[in-house]
Amino acid sequence: MSYTIKTDSLSKRFGDIQSVDNITIDVEQSEVYGFLGSNGAGKSTTMKMLTTLLRPTSGSARVAGYDIATQQSSVREHIGFVQQESAIDEYLTGRENLILQARLSRLEPAVAERRIDELMETTGLADRQHDATVTYSGGMKKRLDIASGLLHRPTILFLDEPTVGLDIQTRHRIWEHIHTMHKEYDMTVFISTHYMEEADMLCDRICIIDQGKVKAVGRPSQMKENLEQEVINMRSDNAVLLSDNISSIDGVQDIRRTNDTLQIHVSDGPQTIPIIFQKAQSLNIQIQSVSMTGPTLDDVYISYTGHQIREQGPEPRRKRRW
Amino acid sequence: MRKFATDTYAIFWREMMRYRKSKSGVLIRLIQPAVWIVVIGHTFSGTKPLIQAAGFDGEYIEFMAPGVIVLTAIFTSIFGGVNTLWDRRYGFMNKALVSPIFRSSLALGKMLAIAIVATLQASLIIAISLIIGVSFIDYAMIIPIMAIVTLFSLGFSGVSVIVAATAKSQEAFWGIINFLGMPLFMISPALFPLELMPDWLSSLAQINPATYTILLIREMMTGVESGIPVSLSLGVLGVFVGAIILVAGWTFTRDVSRPF
Ligand SMILES: Nc1ncnc2c1ncn2[C@@H]1O[C@H](COP(=O)(O)OP(=O)(O)OP(=O)(O)O)[C@@H](O)[C@H]1O
Ligand SMILES: [Mg+2]
Repeated sequence: MSYTIKTDSLSKRFGDIQSVDNITIDVEQSEVYGFLGSNGAGKSTTMKMLTTLLRPTSGSARVAGYDIATQQSSVREHIGFVQQESAIDEYLTGRENLILQARLSRLEPAVAERRIDELMETTGLADRQHDATVTYSGGMKKRLDIASGLLHRPTILFLDEPTVGLDIQTRHRIWEHIHTMHKEYDMTVFISTHYMEEADMLCDRICIIDQGKVKAVGRPSQMKENLEQEVINMRSDNAVLLSDNISSIDGVQDIRRTNDTLQIHVSDGPQTIPIIFQKAQSLNIQIQSVSMTGPTLDDVYISYTGHQIREQGPEPRRKRRW
Repeated sequence: MRKFATDTYAIFWREMMRYRKSKSGVLIRLIQPAVWIVVIGHTFSGTKPLIQAAGFDGEYIEFMAPGVIVLTAIFTSIFGGVNTLWDRRYGFMNKALVSPIFRSSLALGKMLAIAIVATLQASLIIAISLIIGVSFIDYAMIIPIMAIVTLFSLGFSGVSVIVAATAKSQEAFWGIINFLGMPLFMISPALFPLELMPDWLSSLAQINPATYTILLIREMMTGVESGIPVSLSLGVLGVFVGAIILVAGWTFTRDVSRPF
C-alpha cells in the first residue's frame, strides 16, 4: 500500500488552545479522504500544516513523500490547496485569476492556455470568464477557486470545506466536478467538511475529528455497518407519549422526534418492533406507519463524538434529540 | 535564476493588473503633491535670497521641484505595501505561499510594481513642474532622473512591504508608515537647504536616503552642485536599496501567513 499523506502525532497549539492533538493518519494514493468535524474541530489547522502554511508544534508529516517541515518546496510542487476562504483576486477577471494561478505554478503558457479553456468549460464559467470576479456569485467564485486548485494537476488536492454556504444544486454540481476530476487525473483528494452527505457521497474513507483528536477512521459503509444499529421510523398519533414509554426497552439506544414521527435507534429492529407495538397498544396509541432503515453517517458521527455536528447545512434537516 | 525572474514577473504582473483596475487612485494621489508644488512653490518664492545664501542660484520653485518629485515617490511607495496587508487577510498570500514560487520573488515582484507606479506618479509631477515653468538644464536628464526615482522607490516600497508583512494589525501598519513618511520628507533638503537647518536636524538628514536622492536629482535638474559627490549619493542609494531587497526577501521566508 502506498501512502501519499502520512502524519505522525501531528499537533498544533495556539496559546492555550490545542487545535490539533496528536493526529496520526494515512491517506492512500488516489483515494478521496474526508476529514469530518464540526466548527473548530481542527480541520483547517491540520490542512494548513499539511500544505506548509503552518508549522506543527510537534509531530511530523510527509506529503507526496516529502517532509512538511524540511522539504517544503517539494511538497508545494505536488499539492493544490483550495482554502476555506475564497482566494480569488476580485480585481481580476475569472480568466486572469487562472492565468495568475498558472504563473504561480510555473506552468508553460501554452499548456496553461489549453487547460484554462478546458477548465472554463467544465466549471461552466466559459461565458463569464472575461468578467471581473466581483460580479460573480458565491457559487461561481467557489468553482473558480476549485479550478485554480486543479490547474496544475497536483498529485494531492486539498479542499477545505469546498461547498460551505452554497445551495444544494451548486453543491451537487461541485461534487460531480470533484468526482470527475478525481477520476480523470487520478489525484488524491483530501477534503474537509461538516456535511454528512458530502462525506458519504464523495469519500472513500472518512476520518472523524473532534476537538483536535481523531475519533474514528473508516469507509462510510463499513462504519455504518459496524455501528450495529437499525433505525425504526414510526409515525403515530402521540409520538411524545410513545417516546417516553419505550426508551427503557432493551436495545433502544436513542430516540429522536420530528413532529409525529419517531426515529428509534435500536440494536435489533425486527425483535424490537413487536415490543413497541405492544407498548403502543397498552397506551392506546395508534401507529400509522413503520419503516426500518440502516444508520446514517450522522449516527456514526454521534456515536463517536457523543454530539451532533453543531452547524447544519442550509437545508433544514435538524432533528431534535431527546 | 530564470525561475526567479519568471516568479518575480508573475507577482509583478498581478500587482500591475490590480493597479490597472484602480486608475482613479493615481489621480487622487497626485492631488497632494500637485498642491505642494503649486501652492508652496509660490508661497515660498520670497525665500529666494535665503536659498541663494545657501548656494543655490535660481528660483525657489526650481529648488523645491526635486523635493516634490521625491515626496511623491516616498508617499506612493511607502503606502504601496498596503496591498500586502489585504493579501494576508484575503487568501492571496496563502495561495502564493503554497505555490512553489520563490518567497523572495513574492517580495520583489510587489516592490517592483510599487516602484513603477511611484515612478509614473513622479513623472506626472515632472510634467506639472514643466507646465508651471520649471526649467531643466538638459531635458534629456529626465530619463536618468526617472531611473533614480525608480531605484529610490524600490527601497521605500521594500520598507512598506516589510512592515505590511510583519505588522500584527492594520493599525500597527498605519502607525509605523505614518511615523516614517512625514519625517523622511521633512528631515531632508526637500523644501530648504540643509545649511539652513539646525545642526542636529541636518545630521539626522544625513542618514536619510531621501536626502541623497533629492540632492542628486536637484543637481541633475539645475546643474548646481550640491556639495555631495554624485558617486557618494548613488552609492548610498544603491546600498540602501540592496539592503532592503535582502531584508524583504528574508521577511517573506518567515511566517507571513499569520492572521492579524
Ligand atoms: N491562528 C490561530 N490562533 C489561535 N487559535 C486558532 C488559530 N487558528 C485556529 N485556531 C483555533 O484552533 C481551533 C481549530 O480551528 P480550525 O480552524 O482548524 O477549525 P475547523 O475544523 O477548520 O473549523 P471550521 O469548520 O469552523 O472551519 C479553533 O478553536 C480555533 O479557534
Ligand atoms: Mg476550517
